[in-house]
This record gives sequence, structure tokens and C-alpha cells, in this order.
Amino acid sequence: MELVLDRVTKHYKNKIAVDRLSAVLKPGVYGLLGANGAGKTTLMRMICGILEISSGEIRLDGEEIGEMGENYRELLGYLPQDFGYYPNFTAMEFMLYISSLKGLDKRYARKQSMLLLKKVGMEQEIRHKIKTFSGGMRQRLGIAQALLNDPKILILDEPTAGLDPKERVRFRNMIAELGKERIVILSTHIVSDIEEIADWIFLMKQGQFLAQGTLEELKEHYLEVTGNDGTFNLEKLYLFYFAEGEEEDVMV
Amino acid sequence: MLWFELKKIFERKLNLAAMIAGYAVMAVCVYAYISQATFYDAETDSYVEGTGAIRLQKERLNALTDTVSEEYITDMLEKIQRSGRDLESEEGYKEVVRHYGDIFYFVARNYTDMKESYLDNNVLMETDISSGAHFYEQRLKKVENFLNDPSANFKETEKQYWMKKAGKVTTPFRWGDITVMDIIRELIGVGFYLVFVIIICVSSVFSSENESGAASLLLTTKYGKNRLAAAKTTASVLFGTVYLSVGIWLSVGAVAVLFGFSGADLPVQLWNSIIPYRMTAAGACICSFAVILLLSLSITLLLLLCSAHIHSSLTTLAIGMAFMVAPVFLPNGRINGLWCHISALFPVRAMNFKDVIKTILSYPVGNYVISYPVMIVVVYLLAAVVSLLFINRGFVRSTN
Repeated sequence: MELVLDRVTKHYKNKIAVDRLSAVLKPGVYGLLGANGAGKTTLMRMICGILEISSGEIRLDGEEIGEMGENYRELLGYLPQDFGYYPNFTAMEFMLYISSLKGLDKRYARKQSMLLLKKVGMEQEIRHKIKTFSGGMRQRLGIAQALLNDPKILILDEPTAGLDPKERVRFRNMIAELGKERIVILSTHIVSDIEEIADWIFLMKQGQFLAQGTLEELKEHYLEVTGNDGTFNLEKLYLFYFAEGEEEDVMV
Repeated sequence: MLWFELKKIFERKLNLAAMIAGYAVMAVCVYAYISQATFYDAETDSYVEGTGAIRLQKERLNALTDTVSEEYITDMLEKIQRSGRDLESEEGYKEVVRHYGDIFYFVARNYTDMKESYLDNNVLMETDISSGAHFYEQRLKKVENFLNDPSANFKETEKQYWMKKAGKVTTPFRWGDITVMDIIRELIGVGFYLVFVIIICVSSVFSSENESGAASLLLTTKYGKNRLAAAKTTASVLFGTVYLSVGIWLSVGAVAVLFGFSGADLPVQLWNSIIPYRMTAAGACICSFAVILLLSLSITLLLLLCSAHIHSSLTTLAIGMAFMVAPVFLPNGRINGLWCHISALFPVRAMNFKDVIKTILSYPVGNYVISYPVMIVVVYLLAAVVSLLFINRGFVRSTN
């Protein structure tokens, strides 16, 4: 399976949100790191097919995703950054609703929902209404719904937001596991999340990839450029690229 | 999917409150129509109110005559003219008008010009009955005079159409008490208020998904870009149709339990002799129900279209309310004028079926003439179809 971004661009009137991004994604975990407004969410929404691309193409195994339609969406799992849950739905009702939209068989949907709610530690809340849930619980429910159709492409926008440290560790492990067989694209502000689980990291700024590569490759490049003594972490790299005056386009 | 969409509609507190309020209005109307009925019983010289008034009126009016024959009207007018009373005076009212009751107004209206908004009772004192009352001739003449009014500017094809239609009505009219059917027709018309409730409930169907951000998730699912909009539309239409039908039929049922469907087989001309349609009161009530259902369906779909495109529940609600309420304050326009043709199609006028069938208004297209009721059906069906075609497109593009 190969997801290709080919000079993907999105502009709104005079503003360019995503600027000619190209990448080839194969199964693994891809981390998008960037400040607010860098274009991470816009890029993810275009990959999900809910935002029209101004120019360029996104192809899955050679086929343009817009043309694939249902066949593409069938392979997709998406957790948006902020989205409205239905306060009067119970956790199970919400899962079954999303299942019906994903075209899952009723019996399978119920079984899968139970399994996933258990996996995200919500087996006790199955019959509770969403309006009674904390932010973290809602986020866990969001992750569970994204996995309902056993997606081959999983897109997670800020998946660990609102989770407590223990839950974050659990989800990091879960995402790392999921990335073994599918393409997982996640964005976060939390540098350590990416550092722990991403096989490939994209650093985004002003709609462009400032740098991309494995953690090791980024480290080598950082040390090469800065001549540092060897103490490296992704946070340092992040600050290096996003500090004022450091806007050169670097590909690793 | 459909069940979940219905659940969303029923679980919003505002929707629930509006639904209860809508049915409460219907209940109040049923009570008001029945309790406020008054009938003057000439035999006992007393007024009867409430259910008793409706029952007694039925008994008395049915006993008057079987048909509105020329002989009966001539005889009636002779007696009235012989009384020599000023029928606009209190004395004339008590001695003549009140005695005849409904049939007096029915006949007097037949001899009053269509453009007159005020019914002058004395018109029956001035009617020449030397060679008979010529009631049905007068009826056609009244329509003809209206059509030939130079200011109305009716086309020849329209004149021919209406005269032919008015002439096809079965005469002499069967006579009887049509009060119960009138109440039923009024209650169907009260369904207008239930359409407000439907507007409140469906205005957020699509836009709330955008407002909450859920649209982003829903549209990435397999069926999010096609079947979801269909499910939402079906749920809204189903809800609107069931809510409106249940409200109307509960009200009508309450009246029917008390009085039956008496007068169902009487001609609609007893409401107004000029009505140019051959139709019974029951037929008119069924048509009225069908029209209100069609309008409700069409308004629901138009609102869904707005909801899918505008992404704001409040704006969609405001548009829906304005569409229903604003035309109340607009003038009807000159008889047969352009604005008259347009304003006649607004829901507030189109839902008043009694007015619709008694209004001589048509939409000429070349040599064809489309009558006002048919035009209502055509316009609202068209609006429904167009809305249906573009709802999905609006929702699918909503996240761009």
C-alpha cells in the first residue's frame, strides 16, 4: 500500500495553507509536527478527502482518492481535532452510529464496538451518555470510533490531547502497534509523542515541509548543522527550525 | 442510520419543547372551535353554545330543505321581501336574518358582487324576483362580471376556462349543515402552526453537524457523502409528515368522535356559491390535508437545503420563519396582477384551502391555463425536487 502526495496545494483566496507538498507514505507511523497554522490539519483533511485540493493529487496505489470515493473512505479512520459528539447518545450508540456510516454489519459493529471500547478503557461507560464524559473520555471514544472499520489509513489529529500521562503512554503504544500494518498519520504539539512512536517525522511550517526524515536522520542533520556536542532531542530540533530567522528549507 | 437521525431530532430539548407546544396549540384550537360555537334556535328563541349548538344547528339546517332549488330560494326571497324590514337594522336581523341563519348569508353572498368585501344583507330586498330568483344564473353572472372587470385584465382563455369550470358544478346544490366539515377544514388549516414546529426541528439537521464539527468526521466515513444526507433527509421528512399528520388527525378525530363527519358529502359551494370546483366537503378536507402535507414536505426540503449550505442553524431557522410569517404582512396586490399571482403562492395563503378554492386566479401559459390549486402543487413539488437534488451537494462541500 502506498499513499502518494503529489505537489498537494491548498489556498484560500490569497492565502496558501498548504504549499506543493509531496511525499510517499507506506505502512508506518508518520508524525506531523508544527506550530498552529502550519497547515497540519489542512493537510490531514485533504488526505481524508473532506477538503478539496486546489492543485496536485493524492493517490492510493496509483488511484486518485477522489475518484476512489467510497472505496477510499472504506479504508480510512479519522479522528478530527475538535468534533462534536452527540451529548444524548451513549458511548455504544455513538459507536453504532459511526459503524452504520462505515457500512459495518450490525452484529459485527456491536462486537467490534465492545472490543474497542474495552481497548480504550471505556467498558464501564458503554451505556453512559456522552454528555457525562470528561474531555479525556471523549478523546478515547474518538480514537475507538476511528478504529471501527479496521482502517488501512489512520489519521489522528492531536490524538493525545486531553489525555492524562498514563493514558498517553497507553495510546502511544497502541498507535505504534497499529502502525505496523497500516499508514498512521498523526499530528501533535507534544514533541515527545512523536519522538516515541513516529517512524518518519515531517516538520511543517507555513504549509511546507521544513524537514522530514527518521529521528536518527533528523538528529544527524541537526548535529551537522549546529556542530553541537551530541546532546540531542526532538524538542531542540523543533526549536531550531521554528526559531525566528531560521526559515531555510531543509530536507534530510 | 435513519433511527439515529430521528433520535437526534427527538433528543434536542428545543425540538421537544416546540413539539409539545405545537400539539398544545392544536388542542386549544379544537377546544375553542367547539366551545365557541353558538346557534340561535328560532323555535325556542334562545342561543345554544358549545357541542349542543353544533348538534342543534345540524338538526335545524338539515330540516330546512334538501336542495337549494330555484323554487326554494324564490319562496325564501319572497318572504324576506314581504317582511319589508331593513335587514341591516337590529329589528330586521332579529326577525328575518337570525331566523334563516346560515342559508340567509349563503344566499345573500350569492347576490353580492365579488369585489365587495362587505356583505350587505339588504341585497336580498333589492333582488328582482318577478320572474324567479335565478339563483344559479346569478352565480355564473357573478363569476362572469368578475372575469370581465377591465382592471383585472383576465385573458380570453382564462375567462373561458373559469366559466366552463364554474358551469360544470352540479346544480341545484344539495343543502345541509356543513359546520362540522368546516371545523375539520379549519383544524387542518391550523396545521400551519405545526409547520413552524417542523421548521424549528429540521433547521439544524445539517448545520448542527457543521457547528459542532461532527461533519468532518461523518464525511470521512464510507457512506458519509451519500447515504448520510439521504438518511437525514428521510428522517426529517418522516418526522415532519408523521408529526403533522398525527397532530391534524388527533384534532379531526376529536371532532369526529363528538359529531361524526356530518356534511361530508355536501358540495363545497355551501361555503361559497362561486367556488368553481365540483367537490364535496370531505373531498375538500382531504385535498386541504394533502396540500398542507405537500407544503410541509417542500418547506422541510427547502430548509434542509439551507441547513446544508448555510451551516448556521439560527440563520436557517430565521429564513424558515421569515418565509412563513413575512408574507402575512405583505399586500395581496391588484386583482390578477403579477404580485397577486406571486403572493398567492406563499405558504400562509396556499395553506388556506377554503380561500384557495374560492379564489378565481389562474396562471396562463400560452394557450393553457393552470388553476391556482394546481399551481400551488406544481410550485411546491418543483421546489421539493430541486431542494432534494442539491441538499447532498451542500453538505458534502460544507467542510471546504
